[in-house]
Amino acid sequence: MDRESREMLLETAGRLFADRSGKEVVNAVEKGEWPAGLWSEITDMGLPLVAVPEAAGGADGTLADLLALLRLSGSHAVPVPLMETALANLVLAAAGGVPVEGPAALIAGGLTLAGGKVSGTAKRVAFAGVAAQFVAVIGVGPAARVVVLDRSSAKVAVEPSFAGEPYGSAQFEGAAPVQNLASPVSEVRLRELAALARAMQMAGAADRALAITVEYCKQRSQFGRPISNFQAIQHLLAELASCVAATVAAAEAASRDASEVGIGSGAEFSIAAAKTQASEFAQRIAAMAHQSMGAMGFTQEHVLHHYTRRLWVWRRDWGSETEWGAELGAAVARAGAETLWPTLTSSRFAA
Amino acid sequence: MSAIPKLEFPPFRLPPSAEALRTEVRAFLKTTLPGLKTEDRYPSWNTPSPEFSRALGAQGLIGITWPKKYGGQERSFLDRYVVTEELLAQGAPAGLHWVADRQSGPLLLRFGSEEQREAILPRITRGECYFCIGMSEPDSGSDLASVRTRAEPVPGGFRVNGTKVWTSGAHRTDYCIALVRTSGQHGDRQRGLSQLLIDLKSPGISIRPIINLAGRHDWNEVTFSDCLVPESALIGGEGDGWLQVTSELAFERSGPERFLTNFHVLRELVRVVGRQPARRAASVIGRLVARLWTLRQMSLAVCGMMEAGQSPAIEAALVKDLGTIFQQDLPEVARLLAESDATTDEDMADFLDIAQHATMMAPAYTIQGGTTQVLRGMVARGLGLR
Ligand SMILES: Cc1cc2nc3c(=O)[nH]c(=O)nc-3n(C[C@H](O)[C@H](O)[C@H](O)COP(=O)(O)OP(=O)(O)OC[C@H]3O[C@@H](n4cnc5c(N)ncnc54)[C@H](O)[C@@H]3O)c2cc1C
Repeated sequence: MDRESREMLLETAGRLFADRSGKEVVNAVEKGEWPAGLWSEITDMGLPLVAVPEAAGGADGTLADLLALLRLSGSHAVPVPLMETALANLVLAAAGGVPVEGPAALIAGGLTLAGGKVSGTAKRVAFAGVAAQFVAVIGVGPAARVVVLDRSSAKVAVEPSFAGEPYGSAQFEGAAPVQNLASPVSEVRLRELAALARAMQMAGAADRALAITVEYCKQRSQFGRPISNFQAIQHLLAELASCVAATVAAAEAASRDASEVGIGSGAEFSIAAAKTQASEFAQRIAAMAHQSMGAMGFTQEHVLHHYTRRLWVWRRDWGSETEWGAELGAAVARAGAETLWPTLTSSRFAA
Repeated sequence: MSAIPKLEFPPFRLPPSAEALRTEVRAFLKTTLPGLKTEDRYPSWNTPSPEFSRALGAQGLIGITWPKKYGGQERSFLDRYVVTEELLAQGAPAGLHWVADRQSGPLLLRFGSEEQREAILPRITRGECYFCIGMSEPDSGSDLASVRTRAEPVPGGFRVNGTKVWTSGAHRTDYCIALVRTSGQHGDRQRGLSQLLIDLKSPGISIRPIINLAGRHDWNEVTFSDCLVPESALIGGEGDGWLQVTSELAFERSGPERFLTNFHVLRELVRVVGRQPARRAASVIGRLVARLWTLRQMSLAVCGMMEAGQSPAIEAALVKDLGTIFQQDLPEVARLLAESDATTDEDMADFLDIAQHATMMAPAYTIQGGTTQVLRGMVARGLGLR
């Protein structure tokens, strides 16, 4: 997508999210209501097909366009599996398959494929509760397959996330996939791409949390003046802004790196670093945002928790800072101390 | 919701020409640095070595962005960035020329007279002429606009009286750029301040050491008693000192020395945990690596904005804040990890000395070049809070 088309896409999508994914919709999802209207408007706009070639019915965008869209969706706490469906479609299209209607859930790990049948249990699958399809990559290297499984072939146990979204486990016993293709990405790679996508959503949510608190502190008065006049609050928000900026910068840098390589491999270091960074600062961001808003930010009524609770959930999704940090640290240690600096300057693991 | 001012750090990648220069700098350092002990190399930008500064100058690596007619290479800020970060990461003793290359030279280039530029810049690029910063005074720290040192206009120049403190390197440098009051009264704040280029060999200057907590003599108290300086020492316009000093501080704040000063601690930590650390240790190291990588990406973004002609003063302040706090956290996190996960007791003991030394030096990072609180005040202003 050229710059202009991307900006147009983001503008229309932003308007849709602002109008249709408001507070009531996000709250209703927590009560178990599926926002069918929102989802159909999202599909009408073609967003789950944003990174699918025109020939396959998509918007002809790239991974970069998708990631920019996901940062935006994060900043509106859009409570539907846009990330999952759009990323699944990117992989399916690259595999020469047919994009799914969605809503779809994404699986990397926990499943096996034998004789064309899928078995196993995938745990903590985002949006398992509402998924019409499960898209899974099974295996690594040339043996990797991407399969589409119909909801009817899954036994789903819903366990809502702490942000109230319908996460859960999906169990398959000799399920027959409706599509089964050689996958351009391995299981490991899908986890990387999903982690990057989540990091971008976290960047959006973090940015929004900052915007909400800055706005609130300018309006809330105590001791006869706006609390934003107090230096303690100014410094708290400045520190919050720094942590948010770090989250955004890391996610954007990794997005840039990943967009410059094929979907199959590359940018592993940047992605691992970005998800580690985003997950590591999530708590500080949430804590500072809440501190600056007093009791109001702790209520169900106010929207701040739509963002802070997602940050807490998303930091764990597709690998926490412990997991990604361990991968980074193990790779750095394996390569040896002298390669650390070249690794940092090239954003590439030493061979 | 009304929009709040955005602090963005658009990803920026160094161009191939800068990466090619990196290869050259690495090759140069590889032949120049061996023979120096680690403790003589860190912090790089505080460690003086006239031999090293001259060798670097001979390579054309000082003042590389400056015009050729002043000894520069007319290369970009991005090239300078690469040189700077390589010096820091590899622990090159670049302390003598650091200030001249980073801020005094650029200041003269921007505001100085032709005579000043011709007399001084080529010597800086050769690694033979060094500068110190005369901003702080006993009663003026964060509140820099309250400086009292007075330069009274006299026929042919100025008569300077007053005291500067914390003047790093005044005892081993040639010039001081001093922020002084040339007109008006104390209390006029920013108005009436000017910058003077003062030759430290001038009569009427006494330089007294101030020893820091580590026993090092980096700092000085510089006292001017009826020190006469020529009119040609005035940098820029009379009364423009505040404007100029602010632009100087932007250079001072935005560089990689705000997160790479104790990089060796992280590198040595990787060494002591061995090639196959336990998962918990790997995770701690990975988190530090991720933070450092992120800081570098942010700093590159600031560099890219500067290259594009913007003046990202607030973004630079934010990176300095995050970066200096990282530098403070690093030795402590590393110390605790080494105590549990070093491969041998001997390695651990050696590393604990490195980490402890780094911890001892760390308080300075969040004070010099603008304290954490001053920086946060700037970021808060950027957020529209004040
Ligand atoms: C290693 C080192 C090297 C240095 N080298 C030089 C040099 O070469 N040349 C030079 O001119 N100076 C140099 N300095 C001095 C440095 O610029 C000052 O230390 C710095 O500006 C802070 O001033 P101060 O030390 O007087 O602290 P103060 O300004 O007295 O601050 C003390 C504390 O009060 C806080 N504070 C002050 N004002 C406010 C406010 N408005 N709101 C909230 N909190 C506030 C500060 O954040 C700090 O925590 C150096 C300092 C160090 C540590």
